[in-house]
Amino acid sequence: MLMKGRRKAGQIVLHIVLLLIAVCTLLPLAFLLFNSFKSNNEIIETPIAAPSAWTFKYIIRAAEQINFFKAMGMTFLLTAISVGLLILISSLAAWVMVRSNSKLAKIMYLGFTAAMLIPFQSVMYPVIDIFEKLGLKNIPGLVIMYGGFGLSMSVFLYHGFIKSVPQSLEEAAIMDGANIFQVFFKVVFPLLKGTTVTVIVLNGMWIWNDYLLPFLVIGNRDGVKTLTLELYFARLTSGQYGNPWELIFPAVLVTIIPIIILYIFLQKYIITGVAEGAVKM
Amino acid sequence: MDRYYKKKFVPLALPALILFVLVIVIPFVMGVIYSFTGWRGTYFVEGEHFWESFVGFENYINAFKTKKFIDAFVYTIKFTLVAVIVINVVSLAISLLATSLNKGAAAYRTIYFLPSLLGGLALGYIWQFIFEIVFSKILFGEEGVISIPALCNMTQDNTKALFALVMLVTWQLSGYMMIIYTTGLNSIPRDLSEAASIDGASALQRFINITVPMLMPSFTIVFFLTLSRCFMLLDQNIALTDGNFGTRMLATQILRTTRDSSPPDYGLAQAQAVIFFVLIAVVTLFQVSVTSKKEVEL
Repeated sequence: MLMKGRRKAGQIVLHIVLLLIAVCTLLPLAFLLFNSFKSNNEIIETPIAAPSAWTFKYIIRAAEQINFFKAMGMTFLLTAISVGLLILISSLAAWVMVRSNSKLAKIMYLGFTAAMLIPFQSVMYPVIDIFEKLGLKNIPGLVIMYGGFGLSMSVFLYHGFIKSVPQSLEEAAIMDGANIFQVFFKVVFPLLKGTTVTVIVLNGMWIWNDYLLPFLVIGNRDGVKTLTLELYFARLTSGQYGNPWELIFPAVLVTIIPIIILYIFLQKYIITGVAEGAVKM
Repeated sequence: MDRYYKKKFVPLALPALILFVLVIVIPFVMGVIYSFTGWRGTYFVEGEHFWESFVGFENYINAFKTKKFIDAFVYTIKFTLVAVIVINVVSLAISLLATSLNKGAAAYRTIYFLPSLLGGLALGYIWQFIFEIVFSKILFGEEGVISIPALCNMTQDNTKALFALVMLVTWQLSGYMMIIYTTGLNSIPRDLSEAASIDGASALQRFINITVPMLMPSFTIVFFLTLSRCFMLLDQNIALTDGNFGTRMLATQILRTTRDSSPPDYGLAQAQAVIFFVLIAVVTLFQVSVTSKKEVEL
């Protein structure tokens, strides 16, 4: 009985500690929410209190200033197309690399793995230079660049998993006369679902939030920008008049709301994706 | 069967190979070449005039003479050292706490993971406000709840800003790393710990002799991820201090070098980028080889 009671007390203490950590995690986001409904003066005077009135004035104004819907559509398309391209190209490549088992395949695999050590900063100026000369310093070029930068890790993840997939199923399909694409998309690809989730999560998180590459490629040109880029320029211009937090807070809020909504619905997949990605490395 | 796949190898691997060569291999090689030239502005001498712009190791020598670069180098190493330790201690502690819970751990983990989904720039702006207003005026200012000058105006002082950045990054990344540690902890067979417990091992002994060695694969990954992410940190650095007060990290320094002089000195920036690559490659390879040697096989 005593043991049981002590264990129960221990669990309660644990809950309290974990709850406190959860509060610390959420507090900055609570500030963000509260201050998105306040004027600049109210933010400075009562920064941690709930707003005196829940007015959407500042949120609407910020959303207009950062061209929210256009920018979100653009960010979504950019992320979706880049990740789609990555999945297609890296899964196909990883599959034939594992199955053909040739010297060339091994060298390629080594190259992809080694490239994971190259920081973006080491290649960014030449990449922009090359893409500008090719006439690709634009949004399609951005998709190609994301395809290239995300490739190493994606091939690595698929490669690691495909090694454990038995070859017999594919062989049966080949014997039945299926062509190589039928074999891949009907037999192999469905088996890779777990890895595909990881590839989507890891690349999607990074591309959606990326600041530097869109900054270098699109910059402050007129036209559609990504959400992060809009936020950056909003902060930059607002900084000229002191700190108009009444713009920054709602702007940050609207840029992260899509991700939070996505997280609420897909949290299981997202967390498994991250966990699986780590195990395979 | 091998033959069948070998015949299909080239067409199926070709798209990946083209992307890889176009976006990584060629730019990397060109970057190294550029670092030995006087590449300025948008003008780069190619073809037969290439050798006229060749400057040998001048850019590298200049890099080490540039105070901003040396400062960024030192600052990056200091930050990475502190941040890697703090993030690992915090994420492992949270993960241990949550796994010893009988039920309800999943809900906590969902909350802890949330910040790592959000962009560094957006979070950096929120934390800039927390450091400048909440910390400096309400909590730790002279008229605040408790006066702690070390926690005031953290974004306006070189050393304080380093710890401000550590706080921000810890808050952001601990949840992510916690997930990886949790996966590792859950894969340790329960009977190991139970057997040791029956033999009279204390909780601390069990942690040091069972949990830590069994968790080595997770340490390898988390160290690798935290090391490389901290070394390459950019967005948070820009959002929090924008590199002012000598708080430029190496990634920011390479980006801003082209703004420090007119016309922009790409050769110098590129030499710094090559040094940056060597630093990251050496440190992470060393770390992976050391920690993976300590992994135990079951």
